[in-house]
Amino acid sequence: MVHIDVQNLSVYYKGQPGLRNIAVEIPRNKITAIIGPSGCGKSTLLKTFNRLLDEQEGIRIKGTVLVDGEDIYADKVDVTQVRKKVGLLAQRPQVLPMSIYDNVAYGPRIHGVRGRKRLDGIVEEHLKMAGLWEEVKDRLKSPASGLSIGQQQRLCLARGLAVEPEVILADESTSALDPISAETIERRFMELKNDYTIVMVTHVLRQARRLADYVIFLYMGRLIEHGPAQEFFDHPKYAKTQGYLSGRFIEEHKIDRELDLKCGEFSADMKIVRDEFGKIKPGQILRVTVDREEAVGEMSGSIESDGHRILEAKRVGKISWEIVAEKQKRIK
Amino acid sequence: MGMNWRKIEEFFFKTLMIGATLIVIASLVLILATIVVKGAKAMNWDMLTKTPEGGFYLGKEGGVLNAIAGSFYLAGGATVMAMVLSGPIAIYLNIYARKRSKTAEFVRFSLDVLWGVPSIVYGAFGLTIMLYFGMKASLLAGMITVALLELPMMARAMDEVLRMVPHDLKDASYCLGANKLETSLRVIVRQTLPALMTGVLLAFGRGIGDAASVLFTAGFTDYIPDSLFGPAATLPLAIFFQLQTPIPEVQDRGYASALILTMIILAISLVVRLLTRWFDRNSV
Ligand SMILES: Nc1ncnc2c1ncn2[C@@H]1O[C@H](COP(=O)(O)OP(=O)(O)OP(=O)(O)O)[C@@H](O)[C@H]1O
Ligand SMILES: [Mg+2]
Repeated sequence: MVHIDVQNLSVYYKGQPGLRNIAVEIPRNKITAIIGPSGCGKSTLLKTFNRLLDEQEGIRIKGTVLVDGEDIYADKVDVTQVRKKVGLLAQRPQVLPMSIYDNVAYGPRIHGVRGRKRLDGIVEEHLKMAGLWEEVKDRLKSPASGLSIGQQQRLCLARGLAVEPEVILADESTSALDPISAETIERRFMELKNDYTIVMVTHVLRQARRLADYVIFLYMGRLIEHGPAQEFFDHPKYAKTQGYLSGRFIEEHKIDRELDLKCGEFSADMKIVRDEFGKIKPGQILRVTVDREEAVGEMSGSIESDGHRILEAKRVGKISWEIVAEKQKRIK
Repeated sequence: MGMNWRKIEEFFFKTLMIGATLIVIASLVLILATIVVKGAKAMNWDMLTKTPEGGFYLGKEGGVLNAIAGSFYLAGGATVMAMVLSGPIAIYLNIYARKRSKTAEFVRFSLDVLWGVPSIVYGAFGLTIMLYFGMKASLLAGMITVALLELPMMARAMDEVLRMVPHDLKDASYCLGANKLETSLRVIVRQTLPALMTGVLLAFGRGIGDAASVLFTAGFTDYIPDSLFGPAATLPLAIFFQLQTPIPEVQDRGYASALILTMIILAISLVVRLLTRWFDRNSV
């Protein structure tokens, strides 16, 4: 079941694109990991899910993000309600300048929860959920800034959970933590995914393997590959994914020949593609641009069964997709 | 050769730094010494606890409690008024307005210009307004004038404080579904309260020490003000009047009054320093 549906999303920082034509569906009550090299747009993508990007200067967002089928960028939408529903856990834990108790109670109070008893209950419940209760139950009234970084990260988790979101976005939530604290958080995520949809950004591939049910791989603002974790890690389709997973340097492909195809009847199109392959040598690279999404899968399949290697297949525009393939030696 | 030149440069600059520092310290010491030496003679308990009695300005019994109280009332009220305006301005500039918003830049520019306007101009402006509305010189008119005098300083001080608030802190609050107002009042003001108070106190110091703005607007009286619409005495004017007289005892009392005002401002500066230190320790 789809929880967040991203359609043709582009983000421009002062005119220069940060994300380009992202389309992906994020499954409900699963852990989805967003991976990719530094600067590829992981945090940017995450921040579009709760409209946190709105607060930044000089940014333009195009496209659609549907949460539970509702466009969160629609005019009438109350952005505070979006953020209540889609909580974000920042990369660096940022406690609020108040006591531990008040940090957790902050969200509920904002959303109208009153009464000492109820708040006490909420604070205890969510501190327990984040695995912090035992450590802080005797000093709830002391300033949150006195906690260790690992404890602060869990406090931020408790605070985020206390507003009862449906989605938890976690931006490298364990990167600042020691292994023990990181494991604590990981274990929380595994427990929480029964009730929440979790989207996490991580640099640590092993962590993505351990936790993720679904994986999204970004590279230079583009969505290169996404799919169920098992399949993604065991059989990555494209050269860039394979390169990233094996820790190799990802190089841009040198395109030897290009073909811009107005899609018509499939077998006729395929014939044109085969002709193009005939014009290049083994090891050389052909890029085919098509204007129909369905053609991408079909065509990649046929190119592969012809014995060539698909390096990449990605969306590059509103109605254009690219297939990049390397011609192989003829297989007898 | 080159080495030498660099040494000379550094020597020159060091001398300049030390010289400048010495001038600052020396002026402070000299000013304090003058008013302490001259004021100590006339300084007594009565100065602080009594209002002028008949013939006070000719050297008879009494004190300047009227001016002390008047100054506190006036500067206190003015500071509260300035605060009520400065807070929202600073929050607007930093939380609501876009960074490069033309309006925000214009507001900042206006405040900077106002800051530089001499206080006598505020006094004259206050007087004009008063005459227009047919008001007499009164505590309220003085308060309003001094509030205007304090406003640019306070608003810009608060503006600079809020400008330093880390983006992450605002985001943390937004991420929990708080709107801008809730974020401003519950998180940002809380985080920066000591620094904001510093700005408030500095403005209070400016307000309580200013003579020109109250000269026409607050009037003067020998009594402790009991109404917003009656006149109010202020320390700067009390100093002014007493120093003007040819009678040495009264002049000495003028210095004693200056000593009182200086002590008040000194106390405020100390509180500001303490708050600043406290602020540095508690921010997240
Ligand atoms: N406020 C901004 N203004 C201009 N460019 C920005 C801004 N924020 C991000 N970018 C650019 O957008 C791109 C994506 O940034 P983003 O922070 O999403 O990367 P990331 O994948 O999260 O990287 P990392 O793994 O290092 O956190 C980068 O090239 C970055 O320089
Ligand atoms: Mg990031």
